Amino acid sequence: MKHQMIGNTLYFYFFGDFDNLAVQNLKEICIDLIDQWQPAVVKMDFEEVSFIDSTGIGFVLARYKQLSKMGSKLVICNLSRTNQTLFHMSGVFQIISYERNGVKI
Amino acid sequence: MNEMKMRFLSRVENEPFARTSIVAFLMPLNPGMEEVMEIKTMIAEAVTNAIIHGYDGKDDGWVEIHVRYEADHMIDIVVKDEGCGIEDISLAMQPLYTTKAHLERSGMGMTIMSTFADDFHVVSSAGKGCVVHLRKQLHGQTTSTHQ
Repeated sequence: MKHQMIGNTLYFYFFGDFDNLAVQNLKEICIDLIDQWQPAVVKMDFEEVSFIDSTGIGFVLARYKQLSKMGSKLVICNLSRTNQTLFHMSGVFQIISYERNGVKI
Repeated sequence: MNEMKMRFLSRVENEPFARTSIVAFLMPLNPGMEEVMEIKTMIAEAVTNAIIHGYDGKDDGWVEIHVRYEADHMIDIVVKDEGCGIEDISLAMQPLYTTKAHLERSGMGMTIMSTFADDFHVVSSAGKGCVVHLRKQLHGQTTSTHQ
């Protein structure tokens, strides 16, 4: 994972497998970065993610809750078609916005 | 007809091993890209459930997977654990229901498996382990709608 802070927006760039193993390794780092930077917006970029499962969905929903408590917003970016299916199934887009985003690291 | 069995410890790093091995075993059927993703996701959900819920995160339980396919490309996958079992299966099946919200589980595993499988059922009871049956008809590359 890579990240960058531009203005009030914290960008996370995930790549490879976004499964149980990966999320275990990323979770605390992401929680701490959000706490540390207190961004108004977090954008999660999934363009380079080849695999995602319900663990990934759980992670996204948990960060959404973390950000909501601070009054901040979460945006999901650049999902592949298959990955979008998974997010749709979980109703994630009813509460979290989605965009194609070109801001890269 | 072809079949295989694999058995591994309930360690988190064995889940990617399981899903990639099973997809590799199914390669002679020339599955479509989307089918590969769906199979990988189903295995990930079933094995993660066994590890996180069945064995409550303990890494010394055994997970067994049995895969079988027929000449018509019908595949059957059975994922078995000897963990704590599920008391109320229909409750567990409900989208977004999870007993482990504190671990940031989404409660979507069962829903994902039932969406991607043509037939999906779970046999389990409290203290008796869990057996997940997944059946899927492969159509292969030609009918894949992957972009």
